[in-house]
Amino acid sequence: MTQQTWDEVGGLLPHDEFRAASEAIVANIEQVIAGKTATVRLALAVLLAEGHLLIEDVPGVGKTKLAKSMARSIDCSVRRIQFTPDLLPSDVTGVSVYNQETHDFEFRPGAVFANLVVGDEINRASPKTQSALLECMEERQVTVDGVTYQLQTPFMVIATQNPIEMEGTYPLPEAQRDRFTARIAMGYPDPNAELAMLDGHGATDPLAGLRPVSDAATVRRLIGHVRQVHVADAVKQYAIALVTATREAPDLRLGASPRATLQLLRTARAVAALEGRDYVLPDDLQTLAVPVLAHRIIPTADAQLARRTTDAIVAELVHRLPLPHDRQRSPYDTRPGHGTGNGRGPYEPRRP
Amino acid sequence: MTPHRNIGFVAAAATLLAAAPLSAIFERWTWLVQAAIVVSVVAGAAALSRLGRAPLWGQLLAMLAGLTLGLTWVFPGGTELLAFVPTPATFAHFGDLLQTSLQDMRAYGVKVPDVDSLLFLAVLGIGAVAVVVDVLAVGLRRPALAGLPMLAIYSVPVAVYVDSVPATPFVVGAAGYLWLLVTDNVDRVRRFGRRFTGEGRDVDVWEASPLAAAGRRLAVVGVLVAVALPLAVPGMTGGLLNNVGAGPGDGTGRPGQGGTSGRIDLFAALSGQLNQSERFDLVKVTTNEPNPFYLRLGVVDDLRPSGFQARVPTGDQVTRELPDPSERAPRGVEQRTYRATVEVTKNLNMPLLPVYAEPVRTEDLNGNWRYDANQQVVFSNRENARGKRYSFEYVRSTFNPDALRAAPAPPSESAVMRQGTTRPTVPDVERLVTRLTEGRKTNYDKVRAIYDYFSVENGFTYALSTRNGSSGADITDFLATKVGYCQQYAAAMAWLVRAAGVPARVAVGFTNGSNTDGGTYVLTNQNLHAWTEVYFSRIGWVPFDATPAASIPGSVRSAWAPDTDAPEEITPSPGSSAAPGAANPSAGPDEPDRLDKDADQGLAVGESGPARQDTVWPWWLAGALALLALLALPALRRSALRRRRRVRAAPPTATAVAVPGQRGETRQIVVGVDAEAARADAHAAWDELLDTLVDFHVPVDGTETPRATAERLTREALAEDAGAATGVRLLGRAEERARYARDPLTDAELQPALGTVRGALAARANRRTRLLAAVLPPSVLMRWRTALAERSARLVTTTGQARQWMVRWSPRRLLAGRPAR
Repeated sequence: MTQQTWDEVGGLLPHDEFRAASEAIVANIEQVIAGKTATVRLALAVLLAEGHLLIEDVPGVGKTKLAKSMARSIDCSVRRIQFTPDLLPSDVTGVSVYNQETHDFEFRPGAVFANLVVGDEINRASPKTQSALLECMEERQVTVDGVTYQLQTPFMVIATQNPIEMEGTYPLPEAQRDRFTARIAMGYPDPNAELAMLDGHGATDPLAGLRPVSDAATVRRLIGHVRQVHVADAVKQYAIALVTATREAPDLRLGASPRATLQLLRTARAVAALEGRDYVLPDDLQTLAVPVLAHRIIPTADAQLARRTTDAIVAELVHRLPLPHDRQRSPYDTRPGHGTGNGRGPYEPRRP
Repeated sequence: MTPHRNIGFVAAAATLLAAAPLSAIFERWTWLVQAAIVVSVVAGAAALSRLGRAPLWGQLLAMLAGLTLGLTWVFPGGTELLAFVPTPATFAHFGDLLQTSLQDMRAYGVKVPDVDSLLFLAVLGIGAVAVVVDVLAVGLRRPALAGLPMLAIYSVPVAVYVDSVPATPFVVGAAGYLWLLVTDNVDRVRRFGRRFTGEGRDVDVWEASPLAAAGRRLAVVGVLVAVALPLAVPGMTGGLLNNVGAGPGDGTGRPGQGGTSGRIDLFAALSGQLNQSERFDLVKVTTNEPNPFYLRLGVVDDLRPSGFQARVPTGDQVTRELPDPSERAPRGVEQRTYRATVEVTKNLNMPLLPVYAEPVRTEDLNGNWRYDANQQVVFSNRENARGKRYSFEYVRSTFNPDALRAAPAPPSESAVMRQGTTRPTVPDVERLVTRLTEGRKTNYDKVRAIYDYFSVENGFTYALSTRNGSSGADITDFLATKVGYCQQYAAAMAWLVRAAGVPARVAVGFTNGSNTDGGTYVLTNQNLHAWTEVYFSRIGWVPFDATPAASIPGSVRSAWAPDTDAPEEITPSPGSSAAPGAANPSAGPDEPDRLDKDADQGLAVGESGPARQDTVWPWWLAGALALLALLALPALRRSALRRRRRVRAAPPTATAVAVPGQRGETRQIVVGVDAEAARADAHAAWDELLDTLVDFHVPVDGTETPRATAERLTREALAEDAGAATGVRLLGRAEERARYARDPLTDAELQPALGTVRGALAARANRRTRLLAAVLPPSVLMRWRTALAERSARLVTTTGQARQWMVRWSPRRLLAGRPAR
């Protein structure tokens, strides 16, 4: 294979170059998805963090449009899978077929052999098919008939699902959800954006006119840049504290996995880079905590009865968790209101 | 028994127990019987009213009615219906009793005999307390508050005994109070549900609740503090511990004799024996008076059939201005001021200081010594005369017999008359006095007649022991045997003078002794002496020494009380009888009243003179300065902190090194010490900002990142001030760069930004906040509080671990059936 594998990407890019490339992608996607800059940037951040994206929202808010416009903006191989109940794992991964001419089995790659894989309505496929994605999403490889095939870099699965209409669907298993770096909701557009959408989408589909502004090589360089973003120890501690908090929170039956920590930090790097910084801030983690962590955790029955969504639980944790401070402090400088030394644990209710 | 009635019973019993301290006041236990009757009547009325489900005010009324009935029955006025229904006359009787009790409180020293008025007062008080306790404990279910009225009872002996309050009755009272509390709590638990005590399934496991441990610790600490604090505070040394340490007071000293214990019994007995085998120095006095009268030590004026007893002296501190006797100087009384210095040896161990009569100024004595203007003694409730050395100025009055003759009789209602003439009635004495004073018109003449009676001519002789008589009354025995020493003479004369209707008392002190050297007198235990003092209106107490002078070394005779055994030298001049009219022509009719009133005021406690500021103000100043320093401490700490942060924020010399990047471009990297310094500066500036926020009551959130904090401030606190908003953003950026980035922000002007932000915050805050931020910065206080809390938490943790470790060795674990912990 001529394409690079995923850990051979390069180092730090000049700031301007990174900014220009990333802004171009965002602007391009925004031609289709109006007024959703934050969502679009987050989606791009997930791409740069070498993660996978789960777009979950009600029908008709542009989930598929986002996925497709992102795929179109980058000049790379794109495959689309429409998950249906009768889809088979071999449709996803590929299958070995017998070649009459060579008298041998030959591998025919499935849909995942692309840089961007758009999986539409992923929860409509049976668990059998869904689990075909497990290996490729995490390990970036496909093993069929004992032969392992590496996937290309960048590799990103953008899946959509509908959380409301559950009839005839198979909810994603925990292992599957954990493989998605972030889950984002599109949300309804604001009136102005909707008006612009009416004007723009009235006659033609803007998606058809979308031209790629970047290519796989550029994206690989961007990814390489993101990997170099500095993460201070304090930020790492904060990430660990956040994830630990989900594991210890009384409202949660299952907390976030170590993979979540890793992906949280990776995505934070990407977000920081997209904002033009070469270091990660706790602010980035705070922003990303809900998209990255909320879909991995399972609330307790009590919390479910109380109609507390995982988003709300994670947001509350973020609000309660004090920032760690590992920096050098003078002995006399015990700053009030910081750290665990202020006499209250991390889960006490926030004081007004 | 229903719980309520049970508590009512306990409340009544606790009230009676709390009344135990009164036993220190009364001689006998009559009061207890009467109080028990009244309290049980009150409790019964309360129980009945509760049985009828009366509301609280109904119970109160019933108890008050019960109190009235009980009092009526115990103290009948003679006009009651059916012996216990009060009539208006009964209440008038009660009023009389109260009036009398007010007088008797002054008249009697502790312990008081069973006088109706005082008993009535005590029983009334106890009954009222019983009503209040019942209302609080049963009606309002606040038994803890019931301790206050109980404490009120205890305060009575505290007020009477200034220093040495007996401890045992208080323990009894406290036990009653605890009983009440326990009963109430048991009742509460019982009403709540079952109590888990005794053997039951899974309930016999002894498991101390963590709160119980905390409670025990608090109790132990409280007791320790309560015990240690009085020891630490100077001046509070006369408590239970001292009494325990010193053992019971030595009451075995012989009368009139300085025993080895160093105590002199202030008691002028009418019979007894002196044992003067030993001889030791007690006092050394130096005076510039040529021939001083006796040195006084104490006064006994409480006449009992066996002799005179001492009363508890009361008065003001000697450091204050002492009463000036010069206003009591009608013509014929000559007053001169002298000065004396007294050295007390180790042998005299009394709370009284020997002084000459009527000191006007003292030196080298602290405020623990007080002066009783009436008894003219210097006493202390805390200190001891042992080893003291002091000087004083005193006024020596010499009295012309004519002036004494001119003195009118004191008003019969005055306290001096009441107190000074009280005596047991002995018919022989009354007859003798009537015979002696027959035909004598003035008080002085009567006194002289009695004084003259104690002479060798009449068969009186001096001996170191009295002879036993057969009459059964000591006074009659002495008057019959006519043998005794100074105490008998002084006491008998005082008794006789009292019987003549003139106030008299016995003074105890020292004669001038035989060991004199110029103006210095060394006085031994053998110079101890007692003599009589007689009160004359407008003049005061005049000494008369009836003891045969020949037998007493160093005795002094005076013009108004000449030696009865010596040939008569001074005869009253005939013209002096005209003195009464001429003595004080300008004084007017109210003059005697005023002087007598003065004498009365001398008896009252707390007669205040102007305080002497010159000895006190340095302490006040020092205290105020210390307080100021203490108050200024947080502000100083804050300013020191700010200065240190500013010093650290000296402008860093940024050394930016251009290093080639990976793709040929260059990156500016700040290296080494400068980066560290820039980091420290940013941290210092940020910490200062946070402290400023705390000072100005802007909330600080530990979960916020610097950027979020800066944004919030820009949005909320600093919305109006664009410069400050920029400044706070700069501070936030510098801090986040310092914390999280590879390279800190180096060329930022943090201190000006900080100043701008602080100014904006101060401008936004109200005046009170600004003042507090300057004087008592909340940031410093909070930090101290936090540090204290953390330290105590650590201490608790350590203690808990130590306890766990100890529990491992507890033998309890080995017992069968006990879960090992």
